[in-house]
Amino acid sequence: MNPELDLTLERIIRAPRAVVWRAWTDPARFARWWVPAPTICRVERLDVQPGGAIVTQLSDDGLQFGPHLDATFLAVEELERLVYTNAVDSTLRPANPSPIAMTAEVTLADHPDGTDYRIIVRHGDPDSRALHEELGFAEGWGTVTKQLAGVAESEAAR
Amino acid sequence: MAQYSSEVDGVFVALADPTRRDVIRRLGRGPTSVGELAGEFPMTLPSFMKHVRTLESNGLIRTVKVGRVRTCVLNRDRLALLDDWLAEQRRIWEERTDRLERLVTDALEEQE
Repeated sequence: MNPELDLTLERIIRAPRAVVWRAWTDPARFARWWVPAPTICRVERLDVQPGGAIVTQLSDDGLQFGPHLDATFLAVEELERLVYTNAVDSTLRPANPSPIAMTAEVTLADHPDGTDYRIIVRHGDPDSRALHEELGFAEGWGTVTKQLAGVAESEAAR
Repeated sequence: MAQYSSEVDGVFVALADPTRRDVIRRLGRGPTSVGELAGEFPMTLPSFMKHVRTLESNGLIRTVKVGRVRTCVLNRDRLALLDDWLAEQRRIWEERTDRLERLVTDALEEQE
Protein backbone atom coordinates (compact mmCIF):
# COMPACT_ATOMS: atom_id res chain seq x y z
CA MET A 1 0.00 0.00 0.00
CA ASN A 2 1.44 3.33 -1.07
CA PRO A 3 -0.44 6.34 0.34
CA GLU A 4 0.71 8.58 -2.49
CA LEU A 5 -0.65 6.33 -5.20
CA ASP A 6 -3.50 4.48 -3.64
CA LEU A 7 -6.90 5.24 -2.37
CA THR A 8 -8.09 3.28 0.61
CA LEU A 9 -11.41 3.05 2.33
CA GLU A 10 -12.50 1.16 5.42
CA ARG A 11 -16.01 0.77 6.71
CA ILE A 12 -17.81 -1.35 9.25
CA ILE A 13 -21.04 -2.38 7.54
CA ARG A 14 -23.83 -3.52 9.84
CA ALA A 15 -24.72 -6.61 7.84
CA PRO A 16 -23.28 -10.12 7.69
CA ARG A 17 -20.43 -10.82 5.31
CA ALA A 18 -22.57 -13.15 3.17
CA VAL A 19 -25.07 -10.32 2.55
CA VAL A 20 -22.33 -7.88 1.50
CA TRP A 21 -20.77 -10.54 -0.70
CA ARG A 22 -24.13 -11.18 -2.38
CA ALA A 23 -24.50 -7.46 -3.11
CA TRP A 24 -21.18 -7.64 -4.98
CA THR A 25 -21.78 -10.89 -6.83
CA ASP A 26 -25.49 -10.95 -7.69
CA PRO A 27 -25.99 -8.83 -10.86
CA ALA A 28 -29.45 -7.54 -9.85
CA ARG A 29 -28.21 -6.37 -6.45
CA PHE A 30 -24.93 -5.05 -7.84
CA ALA A 31 -26.80 -2.84 -10.32
CA ARG A 32 -28.65 -1.18 -7.45
CA TRP A 33 -25.62 0.38 -5.76
CA TRP A 34 -22.83 0.56 -8.34
CA VAL A 35 -23.75 3.99 -9.72
CA PRO A 36 -25.64 6.94 -8.24
CA ALA A 37 -29.32 7.46 -9.09
CA PRO A 38 -30.87 8.60 -11.38
CA THR A 39 -28.27 6.98 -13.65
CA ILE A 40 -29.32 3.42 -14.48
CA CYS A 41 -26.73 0.65 -14.38
CA ARG A 42 -27.04 -2.44 -16.53
CA VAL A 43 -24.79 -5.33 -15.56
CA GLU A 44 -23.72 -6.95 -18.82
CA ARG A 45 -21.43 -9.49 -17.20
CA LEU A 46 -20.50 -10.34 -13.65
CA ASP A 47 -18.55 -13.55 -13.80
CA VAL A 48 -17.08 -13.65 -10.31
CA GLN A 49 -14.03 -15.88 -10.75
CA PRO A 50 -10.38 -15.22 -11.60
CA GLY A 51 -10.29 -14.18 -15.27
CA GLY A 52 -14.04 -13.57 -15.24
CA ALA A 53 -15.59 -10.43 -16.72
CA ILE A 54 -17.10 -7.45 -14.95
CA VAL A 55 -18.87 -5.24 -17.48
CA THR A 56 -21.38 -2.49 -16.73
CA GLN A 57 -23.18 0.01 -18.91
CA LEU A 58 -24.90 3.24 -17.93
CA SER A 59 -28.00 5.03 -19.09
CA ASP A 60 -29.70 8.30 -18.22
CA ASP A 61 -33.08 7.32 -19.69
CA GLY A 62 -33.10 3.50 -19.48
CA LEU A 63 -33.16 3.27 -23.28
CA GLN A 64 -29.73 4.28 -24.51
CA PHE A 65 -26.84 2.62 -22.69
CA GLY A 66 -23.21 3.66 -22.93
CA PRO A 67 -20.01 1.97 -21.79
CA HIS A 68 -18.94 2.25 -18.16
CA LEU A 69 -16.67 -0.46 -16.79
CA ASP A 70 -15.06 -3.21 -18.88
CA ALA A 71 -12.71 -5.14 -16.64
CA THR A 72 -11.50 -8.53 -15.46
CA PHE A 73 -11.38 -10.19 -12.06
CA LEU A 74 -7.83 -11.07 -11.10
CA ALA A 75 -8.55 -12.81 -7.81
CA VAL A 76 -11.69 -14.07 -6.12
CA GLU A 77 -11.84 -15.72 -2.72
CA GLU A 78 -15.39 -16.62 -1.77
CA LEU A 79 -16.77 -14.29 0.94
CA GLU A 80 -13.33 -12.78 1.53
CA ARG A 81 -11.73 -10.97 -1.34
CA LEU A 82 -12.32 -9.60 -4.85
CA VAL A 83 -9.73 -7.99 -7.09
CA TYR A 84 -10.42 -6.59 -10.53
CA THR A 85 -8.55 -4.42 -12.98
CA ASN A 86 -9.48 -2.30 -15.97
CA ALA A 87 -5.94 -2.67 -17.36
CA VAL A 88 -7.24 -5.87 -18.97
CA ASP A 89 -10.67 -5.76 -20.58
CA SER A 90 -13.36 -8.45 -20.38
CA THR A 91 -11.98 -10.20 -23.46
CA LEU A 92 -8.56 -10.38 -21.73
CA ARG A 93 -7.13 -7.80 -24.10
CA PRO A 94 -4.71 -5.29 -22.58
CA ALA A 95 -6.52 -1.96 -22.29
CA ASN A 96 -5.61 1.69 -21.87
CA PRO A 97 -8.46 3.07 -19.78
CA SER A 98 -8.67 6.82 -19.44
CA PRO A 99 -6.99 8.60 -17.73
CA ILE A 100 -4.98 5.75 -16.13
CA ALA A 101 -5.46 2.10 -15.25
CA MET A 102 -6.42 0.89 -11.79
CA THR A 103 -6.77 -2.25 -9.71
CA ALA A 104 -9.48 -2.40 -7.06
CA GLU A 105 -9.19 -4.83 -4.17
CA VAL A 106 -12.16 -5.43 -1.89
CA THR A 107 -11.74 -7.44 1.32
CA LEU A 108 -14.41 -8.58 3.75
CA ALA A 109 -13.87 -9.87 7.26
CA ASP A 110 -16.19 -10.68 10.14
CA HIS A 111 -16.63 -7.93 12.70
CA PRO A 112 -18.68 -7.96 15.93
CA ASP A 113 -21.00 -5.35 14.34
CA GLY A 114 -21.19 -6.99 10.94
CA THR A 115 -18.57 -6.79 8.23
CA ASP A 116 -15.17 -5.12 8.17
CA TYR A 117 -15.20 -3.85 4.60
CA ARG A 118 -12.02 -2.49 3.01
CA ILE A 119 -11.13 -1.20 -0.41
CA ILE A 120 -7.76 -0.40 -1.90
CA VAL A 121 -7.73 1.20 -5.33
CA ARG A 122 -4.25 1.17 -6.81
CA HIS A 123 -3.71 3.64 -9.63
CA GLY A 124 -1.13 3.28 -12.36
CA ASP A 125 1.38 5.85 -13.45
CA PRO A 126 3.62 6.18 -10.39
CA ASP A 127 6.02 8.43 -12.31
CA SER A 128 3.52 11.25 -12.63
CA ARG A 129 2.71 11.09 -8.95
CA ALA A 130 6.36 11.03 -7.94
CA LEU A 131 6.98 14.10 -10.05
CA HIS A 132 3.93 15.79 -8.64
CA GLU A 133 5.30 15.33 -5.13
CA GLU A 134 8.77 16.37 -6.02
CA LEU A 135 7.44 19.70 -7.24
CA GLY A 136 5.90 20.49 -3.91
CA PHE A 137 2.38 19.19 -4.13
CA ALA A 138 2.85 16.68 -1.33
CA GLU A 139 0.59 18.92 0.74
CA GLY A 140 -2.42 18.04 -1.39
CA TRP A 141 -1.91 14.31 -1.15
CA GLY A 142 -1.26 14.64 2.57
CA THR A 143 -4.64 16.28 3.02
CA VAL A 144 -6.32 13.33 1.35
CA THR A 145 -4.42 10.93 3.59
CA LYS A 146 -5.36 12.95 6.68
CA GLN A 147 -9.02 12.86 5.65
CA LEU A 148 -8.69 9.12 5.27
CA ALA A 149 -7.19 8.81 8.74
CA GLY A 150 -10.10 10.91 10.06
CA VAL A 151 -12.60 8.59 8.42
CA ALA A 152 -10.82 5.52 9.76
CA GLU A 153 -10.70 6.96 13.29
CA SER A 154 -14.32 8.03 13.33
CA GLU A 155 -15.20 4.51 12.19
CA ALA A 156 -13.09 3.06 14.99
CA ALA A 157 -14.73 5.37 17.55
CA ARG A 158 -18.22 4.14 16.71
CA MET B 1 -17.37 17.38 -16.44
CA ALA B 2 -16.42 16.12 -19.90
CA GLN B 3 -14.08 19.07 -20.28
CA TYR B 4 -12.57 18.47 -16.85
CA SER B 5 -11.94 14.82 -17.64
CA SER B 6 -10.29 15.63 -20.97
CA GLU B 7 -8.06 18.11 -19.13
CA VAL B 8 -7.07 15.40 -16.67
CA ASP B 9 -6.40 13.01 -19.57
CA GLY B 10 -4.16 15.69 -21.07
CA VAL B 11 -2.15 16.00 -17.88
CA PHE B 12 -1.60 12.25 -17.69
CA VAL B 13 -0.69 12.08 -21.38
CA ALA B 14 1.77 14.94 -21.03
CA LEU B 15 3.41 13.34 -18.01
CA ALA B 16 3.56 9.85 -19.50
CA ASP B 17 6.89 10.55 -21.21
CA PRO B 18 10.24 10.64 -19.35
CA THR B 19 11.59 13.60 -21.37
CA ARG B 20 8.49 15.65 -20.63
CA ARG B 21 8.69 14.75 -16.95
CA ASP B 22 12.32 15.92 -16.95
CA VAL B 23 11.30 19.19 -18.60
CA ILE B 24 8.64 19.74 -15.92
CA ARG B 25 11.16 18.90 -13.21
CA ARG B 26 13.64 21.36 -14.71
CA LEU B 27 11.01 24.11 -14.94
CA GLY B 28 10.12 23.47 -11.31
CA ARG B 29 13.38 25.26 -10.56
CA GLY B 30 12.34 28.31 -12.59
CA PRO B 31 11.53 29.57 -16.09
CA THR B 32 14.05 28.56 -18.73
CA SER B 33 14.56 29.43 -22.40
CA VAL B 34 13.77 26.79 -25.00
CA GLY B 35 17.33 26.97 -26.25
CA GLU B 36 18.84 26.31 -22.85
CA LEU B 37 16.37 23.49 -22.14
CA ALA B 38 16.97 21.85 -25.52
CA GLY B 39 20.72 21.83 -24.85
CA GLU B 40 20.13 19.64 -21.81
CA PHE B 41 18.39 16.86 -23.74
CA PRO B 42 20.20 14.48 -26.10
CA MET B 43 17.87 14.79 -29.08
CA THR B 44 17.34 16.94 -32.15
CA LEU B 45 15.68 20.32 -31.71
CA PRO B 46 12.58 19.30 -33.75
CA SER B 47 12.10 16.23 -31.53
CA PHE B 48 12.52 18.33 -28.44
CA MET B 49 10.07 20.96 -29.72
CA LYS B 50 7.44 18.24 -30.15
CA HIS B 51 7.63 17.57 -26.41
CA VAL B 52 7.44 21.30 -25.64
CA ARG B 53 4.33 21.62 -27.81
CA THR B 54 2.68 18.61 -26.11
CA LEU B 55 3.34 20.16 -22.70
CA GLU B 56 2.05 23.51 -23.88
CA SER B 57 -1.10 22.20 -25.58
CA ASN B 58 -2.01 20.25 -22.44
CA GLY B 59 -1.53 23.37 -20.36
CA LEU B 60 1.36 22.15 -18.22
CA ILE B 61 3.66 24.89 -19.41
CA ARG B 62 3.30 28.29 -21.02
CA THR B 63 5.83 29.75 -23.41
CA VAL B 64 6.49 33.46 -23.71
CA LYS B 65 8.50 34.99 -26.51
CA VAL B 66 10.52 38.10 -25.74
CA GLY B 67 12.57 39.31 -28.71
CA ARG B 68 14.21 36.22 -30.12
CA VAL B 69 14.08 34.19 -26.92
CA ARG B 70 11.20 31.84 -26.12
CA THR B 71 10.94 31.05 -22.42
CA CYS B 72 9.05 28.12 -20.86
CA VAL B 73 7.19 28.57 -17.57
CA LEU B 74 5.63 25.80 -15.48
CA ASN B 75 1.87 26.02 -14.93
CA ARG B 76 1.50 24.58 -11.43
CA ASP B 77 -2.29 24.94 -11.42
CA ARG B 78 -2.53 22.31 -14.10
CA LEU B 79 -0.54 19.84 -12.04
CA ALA B 80 -3.02 20.43 -9.21
CA LEU B 81 -5.63 18.73 -11.41
CA LEU B 82 -4.05 15.45 -10.34
CA ASP B 83 -5.10 16.21 -6.76
CA ASP B 84 -8.62 17.04 -7.83
CA TRP B 85 -8.78 13.84 -9.81
CA LEU B 86 -7.73 11.66 -6.87
CA ALA B 87 -10.19 13.44 -4.59
CA GLU B 88 -12.92 12.74 -7.15
CA GLN B 89 -12.02 9.03 -7.25
CA ARG B 90 -12.18 8.94 -3.46
CA ARG B 91 -15.63 10.56 -3.48
CA ILE B 92 -16.91 8.05 -6.06
CA TRP B 93 -15.77 5.09 -3.94
CA GLU B 94 -17.10 6.56 -0.70
CA GLU B 95 -20.53 7.24 -2.17
CA ARG B 96 -20.53 3.82 -3.78
CA THR B 97 -19.83 2.26 -0.37
CA ASP B 98 -22.61 4.39 1.18
CA ARG B 99 -25.06 2.93 -1.35
CA LEU B 100 -23.82 -0.63 -0.81
CA GLU B 101 -24.17 -0.17 2.95
CA ARG B 102 -27.70 1.17 2.57
CA LEU B 103 -28.71 -1.69 0.28
CA VAL B 104 -27.46 -4.46 2.55
CA THR B 105 -28.73 -2.94 5.80
CA ASP B 106 -32.16 -2.18 4.25
CA ALA B 107 -32.32 -5.79 3.05
CA LEU B 108 -31.82 -6.96 6.63
CA GLU B 109 -34.53 -4.67 8.00
CA GLU B 110 -36.99 -5.99 5.43
CA GLN B 111 -36.34 -9.52 6.65
CA GLU B 112 -36.97 -8.65 10.29
